[in-house]
Amino acid sequence: MIGLDFFLDRFGVFLSVLFVFIGLMSFIYALATIKQKGHRLEFYLMLLLIVGSGVGVALSYNLLLMFILWEISTFAIWRAVGFYRKEENIYAANFTFLINFAAAAIMLVGLVMLYLDNGTFNFFEIKIYNDLAAVLILIGILAKSVTIPLHIWLVPAYKSIPASIGGCLAGVAENIGVILFLRLFTTGNYFAPEFFNTVAWLAIASCIIGGGAALISNDLRDFLAFSTISQIGFILLGFAVGGTYGIIGGMLYILAHGLAKAGLFYGVGLIEDATGKSDLNAIGGMLKWSPVLGVSMAFLAGSIVGFFPLVGFWSKLAVIIGAVSNSAYFGIGAIVAALFTLLYNLRFYTKLFFGQNTGKVKSLSYVGLTVVFILALLSLLFGIFIYQPVDYLTANGGLL
Amino acid sequence: MSITILGVEFEIYYLILLLPVVCGLLGYLINRLRSEFNFLGFILTLFFTIKIFIATRTGVITEIPTTMFGIDFRFYMDSLAGFILLFNAIFAFLVWLYCLKSMSKKPGERVYHLYIALTLAAANGVVITGNLIFLLIFWNVLVFTLYGILLVGKKDSSFAARKAVTIIGVSDFLMMLGIVILFVKVGNINIPADPKLLLNGPWMITAYILIMIGAIAKAGAIPLHTWIPEAAKVVPASTMAFIPASLDKLIGIYLLVRISYFFFDITGSVHLRILLMIIGSVTIIAAVAMAMIQKEAMRLLSFHAVSQVGYMVLGIGTGIPIGIAGGLFHMLNHSIYKACLFLSAGSVEYRARTTDLDRLGGLATKMPITLFTFLIAAFAISGVPPLNGFFSKWMVYQGIIEFGKVSNLWPIFLIAAMFGSILTLASFLKITHSLFLGERPKELNKVREARFEMVVPALILALLCIIFGVFAYKVPLRHLIYSALPFSIVESGFWMPSLATVLIIIGILVGLIIFLFGTAAKPRRSRVFIGGEILDEEAARITGPNFYSSVNELGMLKKTFEFGEGGAFDFYNHFLGIMRGLAVVFKDVINSLIVAVYEYIGKLIKALGSLLSALHTGELYNYVGWIFLGGIILMLLLVL
Repeated sequence: MIGLDFFLDRFGVFLSVLFVFIGLMSFIYALATIKQKGHRLEFYLMLLLIVGSGVGVALSYNLLLMFILWEISTFAIWRAVGFYRKEENIYAANFTFLINFAAAAIMLVGLVMLYLDNGTFNFFEIKIYNDLAAVLILIGILAKSVTIPLHIWLVPAYKSIPASIGGCLAGVAENIGVILFLRLFTTGNYFAPEFFNTVAWLAIASCIIGGGAALISNDLRDFLAFSTISQIGFILLGFAVGGTYGIIGGMLYILAHGLAKAGLFYGVGLIEDATGKSDLNAIGGMLKWSPVLGVSMAFLAGSIVGFFPLVGFWSKLAVIIGAVSNSAYFGIGAIVAALFTLLYNLRFYTKLFFGQNTGKVKSLSYVGLTVVFILALLSLLFGIFIYQPVDYLTANGGLL
Repeated sequence: MSITILGVEFEIYYLILLLPVVCGLLGYLINRLRSEFNFLGFILTLFFTIKIFIATRTGVITEIPTTMFGIDFRFYMDSLAGFILLFNAIFAFLVWLYCLKSMSKKPGERVYHLYIALTLAAANGVVITGNLIFLLIFWNVLVFTLYGILLVGKKDSSFAARKAVTIIGVSDFLMMLGIVILFVKVGNINIPADPKLLLNGPWMITAYILIMIGAIAKAGAIPLHTWIPEAAKVVPASTMAFIPASLDKLIGIYLLVRISYFFFDITGSVHLRILLMIIGSVTIIAAVAMAMIQKEAMRLLSFHAVSQVGYMVLGIGTGIPIGIAGGLFHMLNHSIYKACLFLSAGSVEYRARTTDLDRLGGLATKMPITLFTFLIAAFAISGVPPLNGFFSKWMVYQGIIEFGKVSNLWPIFLIAAMFGSILTLASFLKITHSLFLGERPKELNKVREARFEMVVPALILALLCIIFGVFAYKVPLRHLIYSALPFSIVESGFWMPSLATVLIIIGILVGLIIFLFGTAAKPRRSRVFIGGEILDEEAARITGPNFYSSVNELGMLKKTFEFGEGGAFDFYNHFLGIMRGLAVVFKDVINSLIVAVYEYIGKLIKALGSLLSALHTGELYNYVGWIFLGGIILMLLLVL
């Protein structure tokens, strides 16, 4: 029923490398920026658990094993969100944990139903005939991958989490939901067009509503949270529409979004540390403070918008091709979401880096800046040398 | 077509992409040698584009595509691409030459030259690609370079840059959707499509319209133009001359011609042609009307940069060969004279330190060469024969008249085009007067002619205006325009530019003789006085804008102009308003509703918990009662 059921395929390796890399960046950034004396060891343990469970989910073929790793991830997020131990942090942590846990419990029922139908947890051998089981599992996925209507834990969680582990949360932990979706549903175990269409519309709704909310958010963390909700929607859209373009687009999107959102999170963290504020209207003129940070953040935000020399362009293009191949209406929805993405990123960037700053600004952490710069550079390099990851993912049908 | 440098074989079309980037980056990194590297980059790019231009006159350059992801990445250059590449390089070189001095010691100078080089590379990329998705890549790079170059401003230009990127970015995404729809429906979309795609079915028409939006937004047609006047207030003249005046027109109209006559063939669809012509006519009239009331030189010119796009779109929309050729020719002419106008006005600004028309005047004797270049370009844009602007407008008119065979709407378009031309002339009389004629304010007495490097580009462009007008048939039309289009062009109408030139020169000479020997040369000068009080000269000075103040106080028009200046017709404001409104609905209604549902569930669970905890109060009576109740139920069950 359960053992150490791991396997290597190209998708898994691709994701593991990405997750470990983002974890490493988080680690370096945390070393430079976490000033708190107490329970630092717990912090690094939770960081490792998040990365480890992400890698585990990416490489496992046993649904029960996946579920256990999933719960470890939930546990680690719970501790990480409550890291600062203030009352609102603890509230946010409990909120996060409860929603994730409740959804995971519902998912477990679905998994058990699948087991009873098929007699195995190995998703290569599972065929899904039971629609109820699919819907129950979907609830768990939506909660973990912050899709409407189970996205609401992300806003309080982002508000209270330290920036260093927030990058990991955005780049690693939230992806494991969509990975399960890819492994279990997209790869042909389940034949139900209505199910996939519903998920695609949910994903588009998530993109658009998240994007709209990010457009009028005035708090940096709120902005990041809604932006993540909107971008994860694109990944789920890619996997829901399926096909080569959808799946490869979703994988590239995980790459693009992981790098860019982690980078933005660290950049925002640096600015928050230096100014002591997180109100978008109160901060400004940061381009003069650190031009390197400004250029790096321009690349990262551009990658999220999807402009060419950055990897975000390719992922967005592939997802939209996949969506239009399925139905042109999906394409229109995705483009509306992309317009929101453009608007909120421009607003965010203009407000943060131009205009006038009020109040004192402390000095910059150069280690943190280096991390942001590396992530921006990688976004640029993958954008130009896109052939390598695409070739890696598409060769041999994705198997090693 | 390849060339061997240091034992490495390069394809020439890679070089025109790489050279500007490499030289620009080297110049940026090694600041001391910036001018040398940039010069090398621009002049070599110009050299190679000339080679490509010559090669494309006899055949097409293409290569076997590299396929990734099912997309063919291929290059394709025909004679249309060849001449656009040539002018890309010419404009970039001239603007670079100009801003050697105009930008020197200004903030952001170093990065500015890099952006010019990158913009040139991206614009070249747009033109040489033979696949629409590949084209989209370079189109996207242009957004980045546009953002960067607009941020180098005279003052804080972040708002203008944000506005520009919003408008161009939105149209880019719409264009992306159009291209993707085409890609999904017909597979790889290579240039030129063979056979041409049919405009059948709603999705194909949607795709055409979406790509067209991208093209005309780049060119700057209404309603996607509003970033241009916004930017004119805050960025240097060289930026305006380079991006909205020349390069954007070249590649925007290039794409419009490509999709209209090389992919699809819109001659078969009268509705689409009329749609394009309506966009063109509205653009001409609305923008030129706004130009009339401007009091700032750059902003006035920027509205003309929008208005003239109307003629191009109108000409291309006719679907008549002569009209299309006219639209394409007008694009070329417009790039030349509008760049010249911006550069000349920039020279005035460089010396006089202002572009406020109320505070300028009488610079004719101080800046004679700038006067000459400005005047030539102003006559060209107003359509005064024998300059180039007249010629292309005339071809567009012919196209519209011939369009009469297809639709009865043609008189409207013709009137719009001609009326626009008259208003253009009127507003250029105003700006020429305001800058160079009339009384000179005292503070401008020390103004000199602009620097050599700034005068030369404007002079070259002015000469091009004359050559392209006087020798219109022999030079530009035969070698650039007609060969670029996929159909033969029948010239109706009768116009001999050389003869006309001779006649006009004779006319001017006669006028000069009358002026010199008549009484007009000796005006009577006296002081102005009111009620016996002699006014000082400053107060009595009448500036150019004063002549036209009656226009914006014309009853109905007044309100319209006020709305226009207030941004009531601004696509950006409306678009942002709609998106913000939606965002409020999403965040404060839908999102809050979902949160409220969760809170309600939380409360429900709490209530349930307190209900259950009521069972365990710790009081003995309660438990006895429960035991008693349970016993009764058990007994009932056993009995029944």
